[in-house]
Amino acid sequence: MPVNGMGRHLTGILLGATAILFEACTGLFGGLYDEPEETPKPVIITEKDTKSDTLLHTVSGLLYIDASSWKDWYYIDLQAIANPQTREQAVTQIGQPYPIPTTGDDKADRDYGIYTYWFDVWGKGINVYEFRQFKATSAQPSPDSWSLAVHRNNVRTNDGGVYETQLTNIDQLSMQKEELKALPFTTDEWTKNAVWADDSQMLNSLIGCQGISINPVLSSWLRLDIPPMPPAFTHNNHVFILRNNDGTFAALQLTNYISPSGIKCCLTIQYKYPL
Amino acid sequence: MKHRICLLLALTLAQTVWGQHEEKLDTAFNLHELVVTGTRTPKLLKDTPVQTRLISSDDIHKADATNVQDLLQTELPGVEFSYAMDQQTHLNFAGFSGQSILFLVDGERLAGETMDDVDFQRLTMNNVERIEIIRGASSALYGSNAGGGVINIITKEASRPWTLNVNSRLSRHNSQRYGVSFSTHGQHASNNLDFSYNGIDNYNVNNGPNPQTRVFSTVYGDKTFHITDKVTLCPWDGFRLTGQAGYFIRTLSRTTDIPERYRDFNGRLSALWKMTEKDHVELSYNFDEYDKSDYYKLTRHDICNYSNVENSVRGVWNHSFVNTGILTIGVEYLHDYLFNTNLDGHTREQDCFDIFTQMDWIISPRWEMVSALRYDYFSDVYHSQITPKLTVRYKTNDHLTLRMSYGMGFRAPTLKEKYYNFDMAGIWIVEGNAQLRPETSHNLNASAEWTKGRYNITATVYHNSVANKLSTGLPHSKTGNSEQLFLEYLNLDNFTVYGAEATFHVRWDKHFGTRMSYAYTKESIAKDESGLTVNSQYLPARQHTLTTRIDWQHQLNKRYELNVTLHGRFHSSVDNREYADYYDISKGIRCIHYPAYTLWKLSTAHHIGKAITLTLAIDNILNYRPKYYYLNAPITDGASLQAGIAIDLDRL
Repeated sequence: MPVNGMGRHLTGILLGATAILFEACTGLFGGLYDEPEETPKPVIITEKDTKSDTLLHTVSGLLYIDASSWKDWYYIDLQAIANPQTREQAVTQIGQPYPIPTTGDDKADRDYGIYTYWFDVWGKGINVYEFRQFKATSAQPSPDSWSLAVHRNNVRTNDGGVYETQLTNIDQLSMQKEELKALPFTTDEWTKNAVWADDSQMLNSLIGCQGISINPVLSSWLRLDIPPMPPAFTHNNHVFILRNNDGTFAALQLTNYISPSGIKCCLTIQYKYPL
Repeated sequence: MKHRICLLLALTLAQTVWGQHEEKLDTAFNLHELVVTGTRTPKLLKDTPVQTRLISSDDIHKADATNVQDLLQTELPGVEFSYAMDQQTHLNFAGFSGQSILFLVDGERLAGETMDDVDFQRLTMNNVERIEIIRGASSALYGSNAGGGVINIITKEASRPWTLNVNSRLSRHNSQRYGVSFSTHGQHASNNLDFSYNGIDNYNVNNGPNPQTRVFSTVYGDKTFHITDKVTLCPWDGFRLTGQAGYFIRTLSRTTDIPERYRDFNGRLSALWKMTEKDHVELSYNFDEYDKSDYYKLTRHDICNYSNVENSVRGVWNHSFVNTGILTIGVEYLHDYLFNTNLDGHTREQDCFDIFTQMDWIISPRWEMVSALRYDYFSDVYHSQITPKLTVRYKTNDHLTLRMSYGMGFRAPTLKEKYYNFDMAGIWIVEGNAQLRPETSHNLNASAEWTKGRYNITATVYHNSVANKLSTGLPHSKTGNSEQLFLEYLNLDNFTVYGAEATFHVRWDKHFGTRMSYAYTKESIAKDESGLTVNSQYLPARQHTLTTRIDWQHQLNKRYELNVTLHGRFHSSVDNREYADYYDISKGIRCIHYPAYTLWKLSTAHHIGKAITLTLAIDNILNYRPKYYYLNAPITDGASLQAGIAIDLDRL
């Protein structure tokens, strides 16, 4: 090999080795990993009639709600989202927290308040618990109009009902209104130990729970189990049918419950309304 | 012949020093084995001036250990692996926690830590030849983190033209272990390729009612994959070039949809050159990258949240003075890079330089003295440290060896300890402290080793005085933010750790032997500057621990040999002072009692011909189940059967 050629090769090798060493200072695995995603933005698609190409009233898309707070409920108004006049405000209001009351003594309808239980989180699990304390509070505040409300893994409806399909793709839903009406919907049920609202004594196995009605079927889209510790979340990606109190129907699917930074109970909900 | 010289280069150095020094020793105690960790030069175990505990390849086989955690707790008293917060594994070794015990692989540091401990799962036993353990401060040779001792894992070297071993072991909770080792050895080159896979499922354990303190209810299994290749070239007499590369990945699922991934990639290049009969030079470059990431199954994103990258270059020169001793001089540079999403600024890096020298004086066949001195410099906050060590060995006769040493240890504050800043689950904000001073320790060690015929007895006493211990302090609030608690890193007050260890080893004949080791450890709890006991996140050492092994070997005929081994370990109870209420430390401290336990394992190895070994073992034969799974409870839910097979295909 000519001396010049060898020199070029050696120079190339040295430069390559230097580049590798420089790269080696901050690691060689960087290319293996993904960049954290940005927080999902709301997606609203106005459906079109494929034959006439005219706009329909039905909207579909994605909603993202950081419902990880123990202390707040978040409300979704599907009717307002479907209405072009109120859509923008309705989407903005989804992120508005409605704090769980910790004071007051409003017993107008039910035994509203915080029920504190000792849960056997380190032993047989959360199915074993003992009541410790009750503190009466005001009823949960809510906006004038809403379709469903979320709090971590809990979901409520506004005097509605929910049916779970076996579908995992919302676009495959093809039921007609009469079929929808005939479905066996489950309404909300009163609970005193499901809505975990106070984690201030969690390391002592004491959890404060809100007395409130939740929908057991829709809440099953994200189940929390203990053991193990830390809790295990089980995601159910089935499509759910929500029957609203005005007789309209919506399709809902939880597509993700983890934020880009790894926080659980940050819900990405796919929806279609009205059906 | 060349290749033999090359492979035994280290041995020739020792022979140069010792000349015709030969003794007839019982090989059963491994006293003729070479060890390198105590002085950075090869020494016969019987002669090394620094008391060294050797876990041989035979010990590793008998323990049937999967990783270094299994092996150390089986073989050594005074060793306890427990859970830290978040159920990360934590080591307590004779009163020193994982950050003060330096783990090395072939003399090289490991990158990465979790709750101050290296990832023990990455240290699998598939390719390990032996492990050398030095108790007491060794910072004069190894720098930071060697205040409590050094554990050096030596990997296998090929010695036969070719070998191919495949092995597997199955047990409860879908525990699976598979390994393949392939090696070739020629006149000028040899190669070792090792692959291992280990996996075990998550499983739940049950606690009794009303535990006194924190317990765990789920044991998180994991899946590890490890591959490493080592190439050794001996192009000419007296020169050896070694290249090594390894990849490791561990997956653990605390949350089904976000499994955690731990990866490591390491590469090493080293050259050992015997310039003359008296002068040896070793140059090495080591790269180690340890990463942690979360894999988001729903979005298929693998997000890295931690990366520690260490690049180090080292040169060591040894000069032998005929029948007088060895002079060692070394220099080292290490670049330390840390990315951690809990770190203020997310990334930090620093340069570390050091120079060390050691003089090994062979005063007479009975007396030997080793003195060492090291200077370390850390570019972050411009800190430097000098550490000395002095060791004396005296042989009273052919049977009794006495060793004494003084050593200083230190641990430089890590980038994590200086720059952490994150909210820990809403409980408190963990804050680093850039003004931290290094933790230092002074260690006195004395040992006696007596060997005669069938018996080998070793007794050691030690005392450590530790200053400026690095730790988190008491949770406290700050002015103007009285509700928010902060947990800050700081230097604690002085404290002491002292103890003793005795090992009784006997081999009645080549078929039957036993070894029993007992350790006493007294660890005082460190206090902060106000004199308040700091409730460490780690549990203190148990005062009394004992390990024992009884092994019996019987050859029924030419094609069948049976080995039966009984391993046992006992850990005494320990009391610890802890907060009555983590949310309100004003409620004071209460004493928590952690009970004693004992675990026994009976294993049988059936050697069929030269190539096949079947292993059947019952771990935890007394079917011990902790009533409460406190963080230092043994991780067992009762007896378990283990069945394994190993085949040496080259011997079929």
